[in-house]
Amino acid sequence: MKAVKVNFRINDEPVALEVKPYETLLETLRERLDLIGGKEACGLGSCGACTVIVDGIPLRSCLVLTPEVDGASITTIEGLARNGRLHPLQESFMEKGAVQCGFCTSGMILTAKALLDRNPRPARKEVVKTISSNICRCTGYKKIVDAVLDASLKNKAYHINN
Amino acid sequence: MILPKFNYKKAEDIAAAIALYEKAKGRARYLAGGTDLIPRVKLRLSTPGTIIDLKGIEQLHTISRQRGSLIIGANVTLFELKNHDVVKNHFPALYESLDATSCETLQMRGTIGGNILQNTRCLLYNKSLEWRTARGFCYKMGGESCNVVPGASECFSNYCSDNALSLLSLSASVNLAGPGGERKIKLEKLFSGNGRDPFTMRPGEILTEIRVPVKASSGAYEKLRVRNAIDYPLLGVAVSIRNGSGRVCVGGIGPAPRVYPLKDLSKTSLKEVAQHARQEAKPVSNAALSPGYRKKMVQTLTQRAVKRALKEEK
Amino acid sequence: MSDDLNIVGKRVVRSDTLAKVTGQARYTADLKFPNMLTAKVLRSPFPHARILGIDLSRALKVPGVKAAISGFDAYGVKWGVFRYTQDHAMLPTDKVRYVGEDVAAVAAVDEETALEALSLIKVDYEPLPAVFDPEEAMQEGAPQIHEAYQNNINIHVHIDVGDVDRAMAEAFLVREDTFKAAGEAYAMMEPYAVVASYANGFLELWMPNAGPHVRAKALSNLLKMPLNRVRVRHIYSGGAFGGRSEVSPGDLVASLLSIKAGRPVKLVLSREENATSTRQIHDMIATVKTGMSRDGTIVAKDYRVIYDGGAYSSTGPIATSIPFYVYEECYRFPNVRYNGYRVLTNKGIRGMYGCHGRAFLAGNESQMDLMAKELGLDPVDVRLKNGLSSGEMTATKSLITSCGLAQTIARASESTHFKEKWPKAKRGKGIGMGCIAIMCGFPMGFRSGSACYVKMNDDGQATIVTGVVDNGQGNESVVIQVASEVLGIPMEDINLINADTEATNLDPGAYSQAATFVGANAVRVACENARRKITAIAAEKLGVPAEDLDLKDRMVFSMTTPDKKMPVRWIVREAFFRGDPIAATGSYFPKIDIEREWVSRPWGQMAGTFSFGTSVAEVRIDSHTGRITVPRFTAAHDCGRPINPMAVEGQMEGSIQQAGIAAIMEGNLWDHGFLLNPDLLEYKVPLACDMPEIDTIIISSMDPEGPFGAKEGGLTIRMNAYSAIACAVTNATDALFTELPLTPDRVLTILERKKGVKK
Repeated sequence: MKAVKVNFRINDEPVALEVKPYETLLETLRERLDLIGGKEACGLGSCGACTVIVDGIPLRSCLVLTPEVDGASITTIEGLARNGRLHPLQESFMEKGAVQCGFCTSGMILTAKALLDRNPRPARKEVVKTISSNICRCTGYKKIVDAVLDASLKNKAYHINN
Repeated sequence: MILPKFNYKKAEDIAAAIALYEKAKGRARYLAGGTDLIPRVKLRLSTPGTIIDLKGIEQLHTISRQRGSLIIGANVTLFELKNHDVVKNHFPALYESLDATSCETLQMRGTIGGNILQNTRCLLYNKSLEWRTARGFCYKMGGESCNVVPGASECFSNYCSDNALSLLSLSASVNLAGPGGERKIKLEKLFSGNGRDPFTMRPGEILTEIRVPVKASSGAYEKLRVRNAIDYPLLGVAVSIRNGSGRVCVGGIGPAPRVYPLKDLSKTSLKEVAQHARQEAKPVSNAALSPGYRKKMVQTLTQRAVKRALKEEK
Repeated sequence: MSDDLNIVGKRVVRSDTLAKVTGQARYTADLKFPNMLTAKVLRSPFPHARILGIDLSRALKVPGVKAAISGFDAYGVKWGVFRYTQDHAMLPTDKVRYVGEDVAAVAAVDEETALEALSLIKVDYEPLPAVFDPEEAMQEGAPQIHEAYQNNINIHVHIDVGDVDRAMAEAFLVREDTFKAAGEAYAMMEPYAVVASYANGFLELWMPNAGPHVRAKALSNLLKMPLNRVRVRHIYSGGAFGGRSEVSPGDLVASLLSIKAGRPVKLVLSREENATSTRQIHDMIATVKTGMSRDGTIVAKDYRVIYDGGAYSSTGPIATSIPFYVYEECYRFPNVRYNGYRVLTNKGIRGMYGCHGRAFLAGNESQMDLMAKELGLDPVDVRLKNGLSSGEMTATKSLITSCGLAQTIARASESTHFKEKWPKAKRGKGIGMGCIAIMCGFPMGFRSGSACYVKMNDDGQATIVTGVVDNGQGNESVVIQVASEVLGIPMEDINLINADTEATNLDPGAYSQAATFVGANAVRVACENARRKITAIAAEKLGVPAEDLDLKDRMVFSMTTPDKKMPVRWIVREAFFRGDPIAATGSYFPKIDIEREWVSRPWGQMAGTFSFGTSVAEVRIDSHTGRITVPRFTAAHDCGRPINPMAVEGQMEGSIQQAGIAAIMEGNLWDHGFLLNPDLLEYKVPLACDMPEIDTIIISSMDPEGPFGAKEGGLTIRMNAYSAIACAVTNATDALFTELPLTPDRVLTILERKKGVKK
């Protein structure tokens, strides 16, 4: 199997790699790039723990072949904090108690970020619908929804700058 | 969970994709969103030598109107389609089935073509190679028996596309392009009825577009599932009504959806269709809820879908 | 210490969450070491078969394979929590007893090589007849799974208090019903993973665990290695819920491979393996007979409960007992007989669960409601009448100290207008209440207590060292909060070393509801001892009596003359000068009857204290489809003083999901010993869109023993949320459930049976 050359941007840094044609984006992120924030909880696209944002769209990286994202711009949880400042969603998840075991957290935050990027002031109903893409076993989701809504109100500047 | 070895090729246009397929001598699979294919490959339910990525083909990613039809490129994502004005305004059954498909994130990746061409499912089939080897190979894995219904001569795997049902209710047709040229068939002709190999596609064919006549319809989609997202239908019923007649489509039970014409909207014919659909449904113990219940629900949800569609029409 | 607390009782940001929101928290599968190998396990394809031979030779020849092992490479030791349950070799050499059982394993340079080698291992089996149903397994002539257990009865717990037969005969109303429930999956988000690294005679291990010390001890036994050479290290854990309490076959597999290869080995299970080959929850059949007097007083209970134990003992005696105890700790039973049978079957291994016992508990509670209705009584009054209060003894002689049960019932029913709604229930709409108590810890011999070491560092910050482990519920943050309160320094000044068997002292672990009551209590004591050293020096320096001193905001100050003060930092440095640095140990051992034993002596003080809770569910039922929706769920919980109310709420909300909504969707599906839903698609963990509106109420009964009055936080709701759902369905249908989960097909059957509709 011939290796495939790929170029993409991860968290605003250009990356050039040779990968296996049958390598998932989750494997590339975790094994080659040491970006371990995305987790493999089911490996079959059911749970969302491996979610990353690719060109503005939240994707389950366990279902994406790395060659498919050649040329794309990828955001992982490691890329959310800027200049030593947490993203409002990260702050709100901490402040509202939305994190327990933490295994779903990065996927949950990135799913929510993609929502806020396209809809900065979602209604509670919309937040519930969006995060129904991700399984959390610990929280009952209430504090996660609260955190996303809190982040949406928190930082107007964020929405202008991003 | 690692993938088995295969080559990855990206096609620039349809002709190139078909040429890549022919070069791979039949051991190739086309890839769009991958939400059905990649889990299958991970579970070794499909072991292609080459995966041909169709996402770079611009033609497959457009929605247009032509001669009274909405032409939907096969690579349009479910989320894009759901938010298209024509779908929102004219095809309520399709809007509802798109909205009920899996979850928002997977709607953003899954394509309408891939959703239609998703393989049939069974609780005893969508498992790892180790699990299946221990249990014994069934018809759908190339074995000699069914693991759900001992002694059965057919495969009862379920076709679980939500959106094929609403598209069928809207009398959609599809375009296929392959080594032997292009053809256009009615959507219902796509299904073989055989759970082992549920589609009538010829080797190397690509589903390129779906055509839906643009006429305002009233309609509804009813989905039986245990949780409200990330669940395949245990039964799906789509109804679309235009100018006093319509179509009911029942899926999620058995390898092919079933279409029932609604010649008129009288109470008797509605009841007849619902009863008929229930009689024809042959659920077995291969999904989360009991087969007897799923059969009963065919009638209940058909009546409910029709009722909602009619209410909307008024 | 005055009662106005600075940190304890506040909604603080948990100390572990920064690492989690930034993706920096390392879980076992995230670990990488130089020369690390990847392990894969070959599993049994048979539910029951004799092992005739295992040939690893071809696997070992594959380039890149560095070790291959089977049970023949182990030391012939069988694991069991108790002396009388040592039946689990983890890697069997005699026979396999469930599909998915670990049989052999390889370690290779990468996963592809390991998989290739696995396919070359040859195992000769002689298939044996298997049994999957516990009632069948108890019959004469059923296949014997272990020689030691006649009729496959692994454990029989027999409790008999008072005169049940006489009380039953004299009761005004008697009812007997049988309730079943499918076992659930823990479905913790993190699939099981182990990293084992053997070097220089020492074995280091990382794995999600709910008790590092007990895990190290089990492995030291299984590997015949001295305990000081087995070190379980701290690692983030992606959820446990009871499923990470015991040693797991993967621990032995990774250890043996690392010992053989002399290199670190990482084993990460797939989601499917996590379901088929780590622990699952017991399926149950509970027969509940209740005698009531005319005024609703429970006069007698007679129970026969069958637990499907899967292939091995696991925590057998505990699992066979807990559902009964949490119920008798809640209600007064003057006469009660309990026969709990844990029966072995050829299914995967089973363990304790945070929600363990739903058939029994939901059955009891919904039966109580039907009986109340028959007597013209209100379920709230019946619960208040039979509920225990402080100063009372349970049937098996545990003294209840602090008890807010009545307040949880009152507050939950008031806020839901329960008393008005319950009698007005109609088909399709119902309200139900479930109550429970939870022991905070249970007797575990010398492991029942916890110890902590604290040292003050030169800038006035502290390091605390404790065995307390965090599986996501927030235990680490709780002990930091407690230390912060006692030492008068902010949480960020406190570093934590925990859940590491080398550095920390014994602790009961995070599976007996003891982390706060016992573990944080030890931290409190240690910090108080350190604080006394601080105030002694400060008293001398400031010229005030030590009793007049308080610590706050990194300062020691006189409470009577507040301008007499000095930084804690100065005192710490002064102590260094004196050659007697500020450091202290502290421990806490709960007041329990250590002679108590699950089978042979099931009486005596179970725990230092008990927490209480009441759940109220409001349900709607679609009468055509049987589908239940839950618009509102209210939970009231007496957790003593909540250390961090936000974390307690989080536990309660998670419990409503994992026990409450689970009652309508979660359950394992089996087909002849094959698990049909070993994934996150067909096993239905509720999603955000499935959740009700939630109202949580915390009742703070100050516990006299708990740290700052705290008890266990959250588990009561995990043990009564399903009861509330079942009772609400009973209220809406006027019928009892027969089996959980209450999926729409089952609910429709209840509705049709009630209507007299034929199938």
